[in-house]
Amino acid sequence: MGVLLPVGTRKGLFLLRSDDGKAWDVEGPLLTGWAVYHAIVDPRDGALHAATNNPFYGATVHRSDDGGRNWERAEELGLPEEGDLKLNATWHIEPGADSELWLGGDPGVLFRSDDGGRKWQLNRGLFEHPTREQWQPGAGGMCTHSIQLVNGTIYVAISAAGAFRSEDGGESWTPINKHVAAEFMPDPYPEVGQCVHKLLVHPQLHERLWQQNHCGVYRSDDRGDTWERLDGNGLPTSFGFPLALDPEDPDVAYVIPEQSQEHHYTADGRLGVYRTADGGASWALASDGLPERAWVAVLREGLAYDDGAIYFGTQSGSVWTAPRGGDRWTEAARDLPPILSVEAAPA
Amino acid sequence: MAVVLLPAVLAAEAGGQKRFELEAATVGDALRQLPVQNLLFDEAGELRRLINVYVDGLDARGGRLLQEPLRPDSEVRVVGAVAGG
Repeated sequence: MGVLLPVGTRKGLFLLRSDDGKAWDVEGPLLTGWAVYHAIVDPRDGALHAATNNPFYGATVHRSDDGGRNWERAEELGLPEEGDLKLNATWHIEPGADSELWLGGDPGVLFRSDDGGRKWQLNRGLFEHPTREQWQPGAGGMCTHSIQLVNGTIYVAISAAGAFRSEDGGESWTPINKHVAAEFMPDPYPEVGQCVHKLLVHPQLHERLWQQNHCGVYRSDDRGDTWERLDGNGLPTSFGFPLALDPEDPDVAYVIPEQSQEHHYTADGRLGVYRTADGGASWALASDGLPERAWVAVLREGLAYDDGAIYFGTQSGSVWTAPRGGDRWTEAARDLPPILSVEAAPA
Repeated sequence: MAVVLLPAVLAAEAGGQKRFELEAATVGDALRQLPVQNLLFDEAGELRRLINVYVDGLDARGGRLLQEPLRPDSEVRVVGAVAGG
């Protein structure tokens, strides 16, 4: 089966297609003039959805039903008129139950759409969360970047507010940040305020969550109630943004560490993907084929996986792919604009 | 009728239409009739910070902006603010 990669860039959307995972066609740019923070193919109807942002015209979402030839912009999307907060950016789109779509944005907000992304309703439970005054924006703003829906449970992660879980469809949200460090805070283990960079739930083992955080890599085996810090056993640094899992093996995860919170490029001057196969007890380079002298960056939405392969895009405009396991990487495309996001879908 | 001219990105969002002829008494009246009005105004109804509007060649931010009156033959240009290098 072929694969389609919607690749969001600072200068529009590109669609990469391959029948064999080796030869790639590049279509684009689409949505020119928009920075595409994240784009997906909805597995239910094949529609393309893109979280689109423009420094002049604000934050919105676009939808295409014909593979990207024509686009429809969201009709209703924003924060309450009477409030002081405004929607600064749209960050992540996630299909939910039935026909619903979820959208994460800045400042730490979540929306739901029941009409395919045309009208978006603000999630009041998160917007009015009693701990919101303790949340702090990071360098990327206060973005709701991770949304995971599993058996009626919703997880979100916000930088820098932490991770939250809802058992009632989003009416209420419980902070799930126990044992997760916030070393930049006076209390390094607060209830909220952690700077999660990416959070994923394993698609088979639903109790198992992973997160790449500003302060370490973590795994939870109890739905986020408690977390175990995993870095230090083969990872060059604890800092990074993207995270990928294996569709079947819950002990496998991938990260791409950066030098430090002050130096946002890949650690040790190389483009290093690190893989664990034992639940994070140890990590090893899985970078065969990647440049050994490189100072690049892969953003939080820039790493994706499907049943057969893993993919990532760099701020310097390259898309790399490897078969599941990460044994050998090849460059699928290069010289694109700075890449903000990569997703994978069947084609 | 007043004429409103849009830059390329907004014209693409308006179905490819760059030029609009509108009955409008003020700049605000004209802009709120456009199919891209939710890209021009934020949730509070304020013109986004980096959007400039020129009426017959004059910067409306130097005048009454949205309350700036239009004549039937006025030309309104929407322009993204120039910034950076």
